[in-house]
Amino acid sequence: MAEESAGAAPGLTAFDYSGPPELAPAITAALRRVVDPEMALNIVDLGLVYGVELRRGDAHVRITMTSAACPVAEMIIDDVVEELAGVLGEGAKVDCALVWEPPWAPERMSPRARSAMGWD
Amino acid sequence: MGRILLLALAVAALVTGVLGGLARLGVPLAFAAGAASHGVLMTGGFLGTVISLERAIALGEPAAYAAPLAAGSGALLILLGAREAGLWISLGAPVALAIVSASLLRRQSQAHIALLLVAALAWGVGDALSLAGALPNAVAAWWFAFLVLTIAAERLEMTRLTRRPAIAAPLFHLCVAAVLAGAAASLAWPAAGGVVFGAGLVALAGWLARFDIARRTVATEGFPRYSAAALLAGYAWLAAGGAAWCAMSLAGPAWRDTALHALGLGFVFSMILAHAPVVVPVVARRRMGYTPWMYAPLVLLHASLVVRIAGDAGVSTGRMWGGVLNALAILAFAGTLALALRRRMGQGIRPATTTEEPRR
Repeated sequence: MAEESAGAAPGLTAFDYSGPPELAPAITAALRRVVDPEMALNIVDLGLVYGVELRRGDAHVRITMTSAACPVAEMIIDDVVEELAGVLGEGAKVDCALVWEPPWAPERMSPRARSAMGWD
Repeated sequence: MGRILLLALAVAALVTGVLGGLARLGVPLAFAAGAASHGVLMTGGFLGTVISLERAIALGEPAAYAAPLAAGSGALLILLGAREAGLWISLGAPVALAIVSASLLRRQSQAHIALLLVAALAWGVGDALSLAGALPNAVAAWWFAFLVLTIAAERLEMTRLTRRPAIAAPLFHLCVAAVLAGAAASLAWPAAGGVVFGAGLVALAGWLARFDIARRTVATEGFPRYSAAALLAGYAWLAAGGAAWCAMSLAGPAWRDTALHALGLGFVFSMILAHAPVVVPVVARRRMGYTPWMYAPLVLLHASLVVRIAGDAGVSTGRMWGGVLNALAILAFAGTLALALRRRMGQGIRPATTTEEPRR
């Protein structure tokens, strides 16, 4: 599961990953533990994660939201920071930026999210 | 902390609005100020403050908090007896909320955010009509247009996750147009306008019941299932409230309590029960755990509303006792939230779902 989302040739539902390949599965698994409480889907399957960059042990994450009017973004960002800090260990800095370009679209959802929402 | 103070203003409006409502129903409470202002306390004072607080957090600009501040402090002034001043200050809230919504629309050009802007303007129209002394039903139609369209916008956003047939979007626009046209027409033609407004609500309920993701998430478990159950029950009341609004417009005020409370309690409060466990932790910056006890106030709310409406239909003191139980349901929900906040189950509301990796 984890491998499908990180690596050299990600599909539309995956996110850009740059960092040590051996950490990719753990990073993806950590991000999958961040769930949008209302949609019952995690942020990786929803296609909300745009990119993760690991530099000198610190993580820089870019995520989006399905709606700019949603106040839950703050909590999801806190969750991302907490989960990745858990993977990278104490002392690692994690910053998570909320971006609106490119805009989220349903095509970004993973096959299983799309199937859960009745697309396929 | 600013957010908590604003939330406290909203809660003050809620508590006094509910007590005022109970006084209206004949519960022996000496609370004339609350009874006289029940509608404005519940809509602008409580819901207006909460909704504009949500939007201010989403935008993340300090100036955006002017909207909940105006709504909450306006309600406080009304309670303290300065009704006119309070209403004027309250009028600043929809104006500020419209500006906030327009800023969000610039950030993300989406239909649901445009609808949030329209909803904010409807609130402003309702407030202005109230100040101008318009017909109470017309004022109520505009205030409910604000609440219903705000909720519809939030749900519309969620339906983007599902595959919708091409007809869904034009049907949605038609429902929204009927709600707005009905509210506008209620000023000049109360009967015809009210019927169009009520029919628009019934149609919107049908649309939401058909296209909302709640139909799918109700088959999951934990919090998403609870939330979906509250949403679907709310849509049933939206339809009932729309039908009762038509009846009120044609047959007269005997239907008024049913129409206003099927919408205000059955629909709007059900939405609050569905959303608050997600939003309150954001406002309070605390984690919240899901507990199946959340179903208890939900069931009590809907059951007590049936009792109340049976009372509206003439079953002796049903309206008053139904109202008392409505208030207890809200109190029980507040208690459940407080317990869920205190539990702090570490991981917060993170249900195990079919789409998540096994955790351990």
